[in-house]
Amino acid sequence: MTRRRTIFVSTILAAAGLVGLRGVVAGPDEGIAADVARLAAAAPGADQATLAAAADRLAAIAADGIRPPLAALGGATPAGANWLRSGLDRAAERLGAALDADTLAGLVADKQLAPRSRSLAFGWLESRDPARAAALLGGMLDEEALDLRRLAVAKLLADAAAGDAAAQAAAHRRALAAARDVDQMEAIATWLTEHGEPTDVAGVLGFVRRWQVSGEYDNVGGVGFAKAYPPEEGGAVPAAGDWKPFLSSHKHGEIDLNAAVATKKGVLAYAVAEVELPAAGRAEVRIGSPCAVAVWVNGRQVMAHEIYHASEAIDQYVAATEFRQGANTVLVKCCQNEQTEPWAGEWKFQLRITDPLGRPLATQRAEEPK
Amino acid sequence: MRPILAIAMLSGALAAPGGLRGDDWPEFHGPGGRGVAANAAIRTTWSETEGIAWKADLPGRSTSSPIVVGDLVVTTASSGAKQDRLHVIALDKATGTPRWERSFWATGRTLCHPTSAVAAGTPASDGKRIVALYSSCDLFCLDLEGRLLWQRNLAVEHPKSGNDVGMGSSPRIVGDAVVVQIDCQGDAFAAAIDLATGVDRWTAPRDRMANWSSPLAVATDAGPAVLLQNGRGLELRRLADGGEVWRWEGDCAGIATTVAAEGMFFIPAGGIAAVPVGGREPVWRAAKLSPGIASPVAWDGSIACLNRGGVLVVGNTADGDIRGQVRLAGTFWASPIVVGDTIVAVNTEGKTFLVAVDDKPEIVAENQLPGTFTATPAVADGSVYLRSETALWKVAAPQ
Repeated sequence: MTRRRTIFVSTILAAAGLVGLRGVVAGPDEGIAADVARLAAAAPGADQATLAAAADRLAAIAADGIRPPLAALGGATPAGANWLRSGLDRAAERLGAALDADTLAGLVADKQLAPRSRSLAFGWLESRDPARAAALLGGMLDEEALDLRRLAVAKLLADAAAGDAAAQAAAHRRALAAARDVDQMEAIATWLTEHGEPTDVAGVLGFVRRWQVSGEYDNVGGVGFAKAYPPEEGGAVPAAGDWKPFLSSHKHGEIDLNAAVATKKGVLAYAVAEVELPAAGRAEVRIGSPCAVAVWVNGRQVMAHEIYHASEAIDQYVAATEFRQGANTVLVKCCQNEQTEPWAGEWKFQLRITDPLGRPLATQRAEEPK
Repeated sequence: MRPILAIAMLSGALAAPGGLRGDDWPEFHGPGGRGVAANAAIRTTWSETEGIAWKADLPGRSTSSPIVVGDLVVTTASSGAKQDRLHVIALDKATGTPRWERSFWATGRTLCHPTSAVAAGTPASDGKRIVALYSSCDLFCLDLEGRLLWQRNLAVEHPKSGNDVGMGSSPRIVGDAVVVQIDCQGDAFAAAIDLATGVDRWTAPRDRMANWSSPLAVATDAGPAVLLQNGRGLELRRLADGGEVWRWEGDCAGIATTVAAEGMFFIPAGGIAAVPVGGREPVWRAAKLSPGIASPVAWDGSIACLNRGGVLVVGNTADGDIRGQVRLAGTFWASPIVVGDTIVAVNTEGKTFLVAVDDKPEIVAENQLPGTFTATPAVADGSVYLRSETALWKVAAPQ
């Protein structure tokens, strides 16, 4: 939470505290449990007036009743989380100092609570006692709440800024191991490089860089996106003669298909890579591309996005899927359309495989995939 | 579809909802989306240290415009590394003190171009409720005390909706519904949602193409209707059932939004095309009236457009004849508004130009504030509200 936001929320809390002196504070209410369950399960089509009334009752809870609805955030639907938050934030505002820093610090540290729950409690604590909140960050480098981990990484680096070069370098190495946000990881890697420790950004972020590429295939009028050409029919095993290797040297692991295939419009290409994962289980495929893309893992399609030239970003599209221990095959179909604007010439993608928090998992053998 | 010529626009826009005060500025580009505060007067000079009633720092980033409803100024923002914290902020109009803030988690996509923001759409109010739509396709309806009345997570309901450049269309209150325009390459649709219940009145599929213009409320002899614009043209749909009552095909702008006035639509389409509702052919076209990002503004027989080069061109609504032009400095994302007989235009660098338009346009004042300004100004009670990406300024009313 930024200082600006802390001041803003503190101002509201101060005003709410005055209101609270005149208001009626509800005591523990067994009916709240039913309200919390109803809010947490909110789904499209649910009666909104019923949910709003439940949120009103949640907003009236006492300080000692804050944990159960906070805990319910962990299993809540997307709508449910926002309904719960609307009531909880109002409750925290109304309670003011009655929801004290000790209670909040305990909630932040309570690993039985979901990351989102602890993050919310941290925000309330920060608005009441910024120093107390900041002190908690020192133990949050392995935090599952990524917003808190980000703050912890930033604090580690800020605290080290006054130290000598060795201390700063050590802090950056530690921060790099802890960081999960791409911008933060890249900034730390860049700092290390600039301070005598060359750090490969693409390697740190875990981009898959070694591919075999096949193309071009027809995509005039966008016909190719839904058409299964031989590479996706055959379970993504490269056939002899149709594939050529491509090793990305780009900082962000980009596979430039204009370079790997040809600078053309209305075409598509396939790229296949063999990646090694340390253990079987679910992992996230994260791809970014300005072009329409589809991805298969071990022959099973995991995502398809028919969007052309509407921005691009690292981790733009994310899909969780099962991986095998050891070798896995990832196939990407990347389609270029026929737009003529100068910014529509890019035909590329970048891909990495991570755990749910963003820690890279996949490695590649040095030799070309068979 | 009704016969085209049976439809006639009764007025430029629907009457304001009953809960609004006459001086409220309740939606994108002001009452009716026209960008006009006809009877107001504002001060002519201000700076960071002069003529400012208050400044409020905000908890996140936004390109949306503030709205003024009763004694509240309401704006939106997003925060967090992924800009996935969504905020609705209500400030006391007199003091700028925060009255309440509500925060939500985005349920849809939050990627966007650096020039835009997740909080890009301007909120809207009927004087009793506030609706806020974000690039994540989350739509929240709150009362004036900050109580969540309903929410719609439209990207959950339509999983391929959204645009990683950033969605920018503002919600528009039309009668007793709010209309949203979710134009994108994925699940594109428009919907009219009951303001009281949050339930769909209707949904209508849209062309799968990116677009950032906003719906416009229109009164017709067929009842309340909503105008929807994209790169292929306009469609006018009945509020009651979403039925299409009129369509106009043309290469419309993707951001600048059509303005309705004097029984005409002034359409950003390769310049301005002036088309009467029910008509097929423009009454006139004016290539020099060429809005860039900013929407045109039409008032009292005049129309003004800010082009991509920062040139403000003023013409006649009757025939499109150009009366004059003046070059303003900088780039403009915010749309110009008209206060009395003065055009107010703020560039991205924070300089607000006041341009008198008695006949030909003439710059009468340039007032600088710090920050990046992409939001269209609001005006209420003689005060101008200017929102930078991270702060909101109230320019005091003249003494």
